[in-house]
Amino acid sequence: MLTKADTRVVEGPPKRVALLLAEYDTAAEVMHAAERVRDAGYSKWDTHTPFPIHGMDRAMGLADSRLGWIVLCGALTGLTAAFTMMYWMNGVDYRIVIGGKPPDTIPSMVPVLFELTILFSAFAAVFGMFYMNKLPRHNHPVFESDRFAKATDDKFFLSIESDDPRFDLKATRKLLVASHATQVEVVEEEEE
Amino acid sequence: MHAVVDRSDYRIKPDSVWSGLWKKTAALGIVGLVVSAVGLGQDPKRFAYSYLFAFFAFLTLGLGSLFFVMIQYITKAGWSVSVRRTAEFFMSGLPIFAVLVIPVLISMGTLYGGWLGGHEGGHEAQAAQSVSHGAVAKPSDHSHAVPTTHGPAVSLEERNARAVEDAKHKQHAALVHGKAGYLNKSFFLIRVAFYALVWIFLSMRFFRWSTEQDVTKSIANTLKAQQFAPIGLMLFAVTLTFAGVDWLMSLEPSWYSTMFGVYLFAGSNVVTMAVLILATLGLRKNGPLAHAVTIEHYHDMGKLLFGWNAFWAYIAFSQFFLIWYSAIPEELVFFHMRWTDNGGTWKGITLALVVMHFVVPFWLLMSRNIKRRLGLLATGALILVCMHVVEIYWIVMPNLGPLHFHWLDVTCFLGVGGLYLTVVFRAMEGHSLIPIGDPRLTRALGFENA
Repeated sequence: MLTKADTRVVEGPPKRVALLLAEYDTAAEVMHAAERVRDAGYSKWDTHTPFPIHGMDRAMGLADSRLGWIVLCGALTGLTAAFTMMYWMNGVDYRIVIGGKPPDTIPSMVPVLFELTILFSAFAAVFGMFYMNKLPRHNHPVFESDRFAKATDDKFFLSIESDDPRFDLKATRKLLVASHATQVEVVEEEEE
Repeated sequence: MHAVVDRSDYRIKPDSVWSGLWKKTAALGIVGLVVSAVGLGQDPKRFAYSYLFAFFAFLTLGLGSLFFVMIQYITKAGWSVSVRRTAEFFMSGLPIFAVLVIPVLISMGTLYGGWLGGHEGGHEAQAAQSVSHGAVAKPSDHSHAVPTTHGPAVSLEERNARAVEDAKHKQHAALVHGKAGYLNKSFFLIRVAFYALVWIFLSMRFFRWSTEQDVTKSIANTLKAQQFAPIGLMLFAVTLTFAGVDWLMSLEPSWYSTMFGVYLFAGSNVVTMAVLILATLGLRKNGPLAHAVTIEHYHDMGKLLFGWNAFWAYIAFSQFFLIWYSAIPEELVFFHMRWTDNGGTWKGITLALVVMHFVVPFWLLMSRNIKRRLGLLATGALILVCMHVVEIYWIVMPNLGPLHFHWLDVTCFLGVGGLYLTVVFRAMEGHSLIPIGDPRLTRALGFENA
């Protein structure tokens, strides 16, 4: 007969390991840990710190952001759209001389060319940033950890996601412990 | 931080090309000025304009450097401390302009005859120098050489044309007369003295605060400079704006543009950032700045160069746009002189300014990768230094007449530039190339763009 202590009741829906979360006390430690994780070849991981740390991009092996190219495409789209619109409206479809100026002359188009370039650039920057950060999303498994709130206060975190091809609960955990983490936590999330 | 700082080391070495460079520029400057003085005897009018061009080509660099230094203090900037001294050297040359302004004052009758000698005298001077435009009178046409005798043999058309000319003449005279409260000889000279005092005071004050600190290491100097920077910037804004009005805008006394001061200010900042990049690159190549000015600093100076140049384009276009669109004759005169008038000879330079001062550098300097590649950054900076000189030429010279080069343009440029750079290079040899006593120096040496 089973005693009460033997009964392991799992409450709620089934869970799976989402990520390993390592906690550090200083910026230098999390940076060195990031270098180790980078060198171990992980790809789906991130660091979470209360403030930006100079040199973290290099420590994490991040390439230059491609956002600039998205913004450039937005800018050129805006410029072309503005020119086409004004040239068609004022120069072809409905020519009216205003203020004695030729209807399709470039100087009078410049303010609108400029404005639409800026507008499309700003949209490209904001929405491009959303896209590259995989936003909007409502939750992330790191928030399952109670300790994680300290990431906005005085602790430094590094998380490695379980979908990373190199992820292995034992080996990854070992790596994080060896990187002088003060705490390594297995974070679970509900299975879908 | 990363670099170990041996603080005694930031001086120009005796075997460097920079060592004794001031003697060469001094010789060049003196020869330039002496030859120009001969030109003054031969062609005083050409000398006046060529000299004013040379004067402003370098004055804007000195003033832009003064602005850069004050901005670093007012923002308590850490990144720029190791490049600030180089700007301070270019700023420290400002007092020499109090001497260099003398030929401008000697030539003021020629340059500013349009309002100095009363409006009538001015008109004769202008009529003499303006070019004939043929039969069609343009709004900007200031040629009043039409004879005023109204004989009976004159046709009605011709009489009408003369009446229009007369009306224009009267309107122009009335405009200039209306400005007499500001544009008159004594007030002009008082203002010149005021600008000179302010610029000498500001440049010497900030230079002393900074260089004194090399020895004393006193943090009090930084605090004093920070506290004084806002007042200094206000004085700077007022003097630069009105100097532009007095010395450049009043070359055509009927013309006015409320944007001209900002326009000159924008150009000054462009040339200052470009020269700062090139000068620190030169100083690095030959030694002492190698570890003090890094790729991170060039990235930031490149951003400022790009930003100021975009600002310049914005201001330059806004000035053009408002004048072009409203089409008021006394405002249009400035652009007419540089487009259809003067035989259309200035058209090419006007277009060159659009392409080479804006379009090309804008696309060249936009990318982060290019700003961090020193060869390409230097190319952009060099283009903008050259275009700044062209721009000042384009502001001053069309008032004289159609585009044609003269040897006086070169000798005046060498004369003014030689003397100014002599002061700058002497200061470079006399002081450490970075402010070794500045409390924020370590921050600048370890600086990184995030």
